[in-house]
Amino acid sequence: MSADETSTIHFKAVTKKFGSLVALDNISFDVKKGEFVFITGPSGAGKTTILKIILGELIPDMGEVTVDGFNVKTLKSKDIPYFRQKIGTVFQDFKVLPERTVYENVAVALAVIGLPEKDWSERVTHVLKLAGLNRQANHFPSQLSGGELQRVSLARALAVNPRILLADEPTGNLDWETSDNLMQLFEKINKEGKTIIMATHNLDIVKKYNKRTINIVGGKIK
Amino acid sequence: MNIHFKTALDYIRRSPFQALAASFVLTLTFFVATLVSVLVYSSSKLITYFETRPQVIAFLKDAATDTDIANLQHSLEDNPKIQNVKYVSKEEALSIYKKATSDNPLLGQLVSPSIFPASLEFSVTDLSYAQTAIDSVKSESIVDSVGFTAALGGESSLNDVVARLRTITTYVKVGGAIFVGLLAISSLVVLFTIISMRMVGRKEEVEILNLIGATQNFIRSPIIIEAFIYTAFGVLIGWAISFIAVLYLAPTVVSYFGEIPILPGSALGIFELFGIIFVGELIIGLVLALSGSLLAISRVKKVR
Repeated sequence: MSADETSTIHFKAVTKKFGSLVALDNISFDVKKGEFVFITGPSGAGKTTILKIILGELIPDMGEVTVDGFNVKTLKSKDIPYFRQKIGTVFQDFKVLPERTVYENVAVALAVIGLPEKDWSERVTHVLKLAGLNRQANHFPSQLSGGELQRVSLARALAVNPRILLADEPTGNLDWETSDNLMQLFEKINKEGKTIIMATHNLDIVKKYNKRTINIVGGKIK
Repeated sequence: MNIHFKTALDYIRRSPFQALAASFVLTLTFFVATLVSVLVYSSSKLITYFETRPQVIAFLKDAATDTDIANLQHSLEDNPKIQNVKYVSKEEALSIYKKATSDNPLLGQLVSPSIFPASLEFSVTDLSYAQTAIDSVKSESIVDSVGFTAALGGESSLNDVVARLRTITTYVKVGGAIFVGLLAISSLVVLFTIISMRMVGRKEEVEILNLIGATQNFIRSPIIIEAFIYTAFGVLIGWAISFIAVLYLAPTVVSYFGEIPILPGSALGIFELFGIIFVGELIIGLVLALSGSLLAISRVKKVR
């Protein structure tokens, strides 16, 4: 495996089926380094399937997917963790560890990439400050609001300094004001050079932030 | 503190009763294992004692010359299966007799050295060789008769003694191994069940860790460490209770068995014996922990 110099995401004639259901039907697109791309479409359109393929969670049945120079289809199981460590992911349902504090939730990502423990504090403090969570560092997830939990998820994704940031409906559970604040944070991160692919069905957000949009309907790009 | 160790301690804190069940079963296992180990040690010492104490006495004819006796003594000493060869003169035999009958001095005064034959006493390194040694010595021209002192219960021959001792030792070893084996299997099942429950409880956490790029080793480490903590606790407590029990009972047991050294004679020897048992149990504990936890982990469905 070797990392691609251009650090793009490349989908070529990708098809993914679940039994008789065609989730993605022969779709092709590219995402360039540093780009911010929305993937839109109604529920069940295939947005999450695209993100899962990018993350190596699903393998396409047909076609070719390259992420940051890695061919997702031919990735060996033992290499997948190291591949995922280069990608930050923000989930709609937050996926934070309920028994860990905000600080620990972010630090665990650093432990996963093998960063020495002595370097955690500086990195965690930095990303928590960026996400506006420095005062909640010792809080447990049960003590946080939905918006704060989403920012914990974002802070954890950012802590490992990923080249690519995936966000699956990050504003799905948030009110408009909280969503807008979170989007401003994403935009700031994008301006720092990170490639962001965000799946959303929130068209107000899409309109306001005016980024390239890949619209999926019934597994096809419209 | 290492993140995996901290996570393992957190799991234990979250489910104290599961941890208690695992620790209790492992403690019981290693308590019994320690006692069985001591029992095996003592029984092997017992058999060694009977095998190596002076058992065979070759009574010499009065006509035997010093040269003949010396030749026989040397030939016995040259045999690697024979040890502790000792010549007992008529005078020494009388002295032994007088000592043995010291509570009735009259018996000693009535005899003279001439009625006691001189003898060659020796022991064998392996009791099963005794009969061969006896037959060999009997064929010597200066030997009048051969007797043996080893006896256990009502046995009348050395072969019976050997058979009886070997049976007892085998019972201790096999019975102990079966009992400890059953306890070890129970411990493995309990460990496996608890770790499996832990894995089910951690399903969401494992999924999250997978998605953020954790390797299988990263995910497994706290689980394996948790199993190690249970077994280390079980080994330490089980061993310590046995150690205290043996130290407490040692004076009574040693006094009951008299000159038979069924336990090490010095404190250092006892510490050495228990040290070896402790290290052995730690290794077995590590194997138990590793196999129990890896078995449980392998049952959890792997996701890409």
